[in-house]
Amino acid sequence: MRRLWRSGEPFIWLTGGALAAALIMVVGLIAIIVGNAAGFFWPAEVVRVTLTDGTVLTGPLADRERIPGRGEAWRIKLKVANRDLYGADFVWVDEAAVVRRERPADVAVIERSEWGLLIGRIAALEEGGAVVARDAAAWPEIERWLPAAGALRRQIRAIEKGDIGAINFEQEKIRLRLRGLEARGATASADAGALRARLATLQEQYRVQEARLAELRARQTARMVVIADGGKEKALPLAQVLGVSFPNTMGPVAKVAHYVADVWGFVSEDPRESNTEGGVFPAIFGTVMMVMIMSIMVTPLGVLAAFYLREYARQGTFVSAVRIAVNNLAGVPSIVFGVFGVGFFIYAVGGAIDRLFYAEALPTPTFGTGGILWASLTLALLTIPVVIVATEEGLAAIPGGTREASLALGATKLETTLKVVLPAVMPSILTGLILAMARAAGEVAPLMITGVVKLAPALPVDGFWPFVHLDRKFMHLGFHIYDVGFQSPNVDAARPMVFATTLLLLVIVVLLNLFAIATRNRLRRKYATSAV
Amino acid sequence: MAINADTLTAGGPGTPARPLVVSRARTSRRIFLDRFAARTVVLGGIVIISAILAILFVIAAEVWPLFRPPRVVALERLSAGATPAPGAGLGVDEYREAASMVTADGTIQLVPLKPTVTRAAPLPIAGLEGARVTAVAAHGLDRYAIGTSDGRVIPLEMKIEVGFEGARRTVSVKPAFAAPVVLDPGRKRAILRLTVASPDSGPVTVAQVGPHDLIVQTVVEKKTLIGGTRREESVQALGVPVDGEIVALRLDGRGDDLVIGTSRGQLVRYDMRDRGTPTVVETATVGAAPVTALSFLIGERTLVAADAMGAVSSWQVVPPPTGGAATLTRINEFESHRAPVVAISPSRRDKGFVTADAAGRVKLHYGTSGQTFLTFGDGRPLRAVVFAPKADGVVAVDERGEVVDWRVDNPHPEITLKTLFGKVWYEGYSRPAWVWQSTGGTDDFEAKFSLTPLIYGTLKGTFYALLFAVPLALLAAIYVSEFMHPAVKGYVKPAVEIMAALPSVVLGFLAGLWLAPAVERIVPGLFLLPAVETVVILAALLAWRALPPGVRGPFRPGTEVFVLVPVVLLGAWFALTLGGLVEQRLLVGDYRGWLLAALGLTYDQRNSLVVGVAMGFAVVPLIFTIAEDALANVPQHLRAGSLALGASRWQTAVRIVLPTASPGIFSAIMIGLGRAVGETMIVLMATGNTPVMDWNMFSGFRALSANIAVELPEAPEGGTLFRVLFLAAFLLFCLTFVLNTTAEVVRLRLRRKYRYL
Repeated sequence: MRRLWRSGEPFIWLTGGALAAALIMVVGLIAIIVGNAAGFFWPAEVVRVTLTDGTVLTGPLADRERIPGRGEAWRIKLKVANRDLYGADFVWVDEAAVVRRERPADVAVIERSEWGLLIGRIAALEEGGAVVARDAAAWPEIERWLPAAGALRRQIRAIEKGDIGAINFEQEKIRLRLRGLEARGATASADAGALRARLATLQEQYRVQEARLAELRARQTARMVVIADGGKEKALPLAQVLGVSFPNTMGPVAKVAHYVADVWGFVSEDPRESNTEGGVFPAIFGTVMMVMIMSIMVTPLGVLAAFYLREYARQGTFVSAVRIAVNNLAGVPSIVFGVFGVGFFIYAVGGAIDRLFYAEALPTPTFGTGGILWASLTLALLTIPVVIVATEEGLAAIPGGTREASLALGATKLETTLKVVLPAVMPSILTGLILAMARAAGEVAPLMITGVVKLAPALPVDGFWPFVHLDRKFMHLGFHIYDVGFQSPNVDAARPMVFATTLLLLVIVVLLNLFAIATRNRLRRKYATSAV
Repeated sequence: MAINADTLTAGGPGTPARPLVVSRARTSRRIFLDRFAARTVVLGGIVIISAILAILFVIAAEVWPLFRPPRVVALERLSAGATPAPGAGLGVDEYREAASMVTADGTIQLVPLKPTVTRAAPLPIAGLEGARVTAVAAHGLDRYAIGTSDGRVIPLEMKIEVGFEGARRTVSVKPAFAAPVVLDPGRKRAILRLTVASPDSGPVTVAQVGPHDLIVQTVVEKKTLIGGTRREESVQALGVPVDGEIVALRLDGRGDDLVIGTSRGQLVRYDMRDRGTPTVVETATVGAAPVTALSFLIGERTLVAADAMGAVSSWQVVPPPTGGAATLTRINEFESHRAPVVAISPSRRDKGFVTADAAGRVKLHYGTSGQTFLTFGDGRPLRAVVFAPKADGVVAVDERGEVVDWRVDNPHPEITLKTLFGKVWYEGYSRPAWVWQSTGGTDDFEAKFSLTPLIYGTLKGTFYALLFAVPLALLAAIYVSEFMHPAVKGYVKPAVEIMAALPSVVLGFLAGLWLAPAVERIVPGLFLLPAVETVVILAALLAWRALPPGVRGPFRPGTEVFVLVPVVLLGAWFALTLGGLVEQRLLVGDYRGWLLAALGLTYDQRNSLVVGVAMGFAVVPLIFTIAEDALANVPQHLRAGSLALGASRWQTAVRIVLPTASPGIFSAIMIGLGRAVGETMIVLMATGNTPVMDWNMFSGFRALSANIAVELPEAPEGGTLFRVLFLAAFLLFCLTFVLNTTAEVVRLRLRRKYRYL
């Protein structure tokens, strides 16, 4: 025993224990996220429980836990949904109070555009107040009607977003130009007259579209009657129905199909109900676009700075100090970069742009407020040390002989740099860029103050000239997590959604990082053999 | 570059090779391009790098106006042609274009302060009926009460209006006089001093008619059931049995408190809440000299008292720290005038005020910080002073009726080093405190900008994060670099490094929504965890050694960690079970109740413990990677020498490798510290963000970084809050930059040391 102690073996095991704990934490964290997120889309079976007091509750089982302070007593959490009928999405039920549990085949889980899920039995289909089909006949009939209702809904949405959106956009532009003319005192000019005439035409067009909308809306008269447990009845317009499923009668194949469709909807649809339902497409789009703008900015600048530091600057104390300073910028908190972005990009640069080019819109700021351009530039600044450091490392790894050989053959320094050094250092630049992208994709704090919003009315890219709107605010996956998880009115219902978003973000970031690590390792091996 | 075939045509036998001809133009073009590129790269590089490093200066430039010394510029000196009436009859408009003055001879004078403004004729005061003006009181915005020499009070509402007459700017006053109120119908004594408050319940007027005699007039407006209001008016005489004479009077804006200053330097406070029966509450001593002026600052909570010796002090009615009834308490003492103070004028937008004295000096003070910024004036004895509505100017009248106008530039009076970092006695507090509360619901809200609780929060979060991360990361680094099998190392290191790539918003989300409720259930077990794990691991080691070698076979030394993963999991389960038992048996089944009862600690769900674990998660991979690098780079021959001399693996690691690499470990901890200090999303999501100051592990905090993220979107550009948040960012920048530079310098020196070993 004493010898064992003196050999230090126990201490080695303790240090090993620390490593094991760290590994367990990493794996556990990923497991928690994956476990919570992956189950979200699975069509869970619906349970109907009858309690001792006669209450009937129906919904998928969400959780089960020990009742605090009651020993071995358990309780279950049912997602009863039907928020508009009974108020709460979830109900805790003491297991001891459950008399009967069953899995009724006729319970439908209806996804709709408002109020979350509706769970209940489909009783009838009505058209303009008259019953078309009842009870067992209702569902086949509804199934026949749903595609048309969906098409109508999409048509209305297309008019609202597309046609009316275009009219609004042009009107707004004309109004701004009129204001600009007014400011110059040219209210009576021919230009102004033409603009006013155009405005009147647009107004007329707007009225036409409104009439079309009203006509289409008047056609949305079909409703399905659903009886929820507890006895309340809900007449749900078919226009609001997004999907109907009967989880208790689904086979495994149907479930998988449903699962895949749900996952696809999650990544391709717009969010609904203040982000707690629907998809995260705008957030994905915003994240990707921001990272792309950032990459376009950061790569040339970072590479240029690195080439200057390593190839062109005279190496000495000063350059070493600059190098340390640049390295250390990578450790400066991201929120500080955000503050810089607010002070410099938004108020100084953006304010100046507004005064010069968008004076007619003032005091409403165009570039003088947060937007995707400023957020991207802020992140470019945040990640530029990453690119500089990676590029410099790559430059340092290129054997001096390679450069000297090129110079000895009569190539100028520029030719050497472009044709010998740059191709060799390309993989390092790529590594740096990927690391920068991974960091930028996961960063939230600086974005919160430079242009991310919880719900952007329009994507930064659309069909209106100039197509790319860098001044627009945008949505971001990371901020989406923060917003839905902490600012949403119904955190409990939104939680699985946040886990799914988290998983998505995590996959993007981890994949980018793994890619960067792999590239780095391959490079190391390559230079380990060539640098003789 | 394409090869120019002509130039390379080799010669054959008999034909000499053509010389390699490169045209001069081409050579010079290449040289030009090369030089041009070199200049561009150098210039571009310098510009980019200086732009990056300029971050600090941009932030500092936004902070600088906070600390810029205030400035005052004397603008105009004009004769009003009359002397002001005693009291607060001086006013100035929002744009400082004209001053209005109630004069002693019964007129309202408009004095233009800008040359573009034309002067209007004096307007007589309606209803004066031959009496003199003996006292003027101001209340609310633009409302005055004029006391006359025959015991009446004339209410007046007066606005300075700026308008255009064609292209000319005109400034005019539109006084609206109400019917005079007779306060002293019997003896018609002159009103010596006057104070008025106009709360919603109805106006209160207090007039002094003799050395010890006051008259109180109250109007109570009650809403009746049938609609409309019923006015109940009452006038009563109030004898004040004070030592000396009454020399100053002031009602607060709510009409709740009447403060009387005496010629013996005392303050007497009357409770006026019951309008019918004013009662003396207390007497406080300002100094030995007579009190000459009293005024409430905006918000009507802080009273400023000045006396004939020139002392200026602020007072509040606050409960003493020991509890009990609220009393008038001296809060701040300001710079003394050393001459009788004649007038006080509070700012209408912040807690600032100006005082003027009989020796011609004006002083600018700030109530919250207790600071006196400026002293100015030209030595002519002053009679009245007024602070401009936007707190950007001061207008005073001297005894000869000359009006002086100063422009004051002091945009952030509430910020001094003391209010940022020191304890400040805020309104309504029973003692000085460090408080961060940047915005409030009302206009007269006293902003509290103490960075101390935020710095404290940052340090608290960092402390708990490092407490969790440093041991874990260092032990793991020692294991990986010293004892782990190299083949396994290639997989384990990237796995830990992936932790570093986890976005902090993910960690924050899990900490806030998953970890916080989970931790809440298992707190006792969590505290047992380190000890239990140690015991379990040691037990596992003994068991392992007792196993026959055949079973141990596939595990070579350096792969213990795979055995340890299930052991650690088992230990965790064991610790949590034990924790549950401990809670049941020793902590009466409710550890939170026990914490509160035994240690006086409250438990918040989102607390420092949760933040410590989550932020530790973010910091572990950083410390681990750098420390592991430092350990692994210790020259191999040192290890070999030690082992050859008979030391065990552990002895070599602890006595040889660890001391050699200690600077690297130091720099690893520094870098981890820097990361934890600046981490934003985790603290934002995993704490309650309340700026409290205690070391309680189970309560939340608000960190500098999270505070910026929360408040900057709502801070108006250029405002005080905006600049204070920039200051917070500046502090964070400096702190992390210093930490990282230290770490980097230490690391570079270590690398040099290794080279010599």
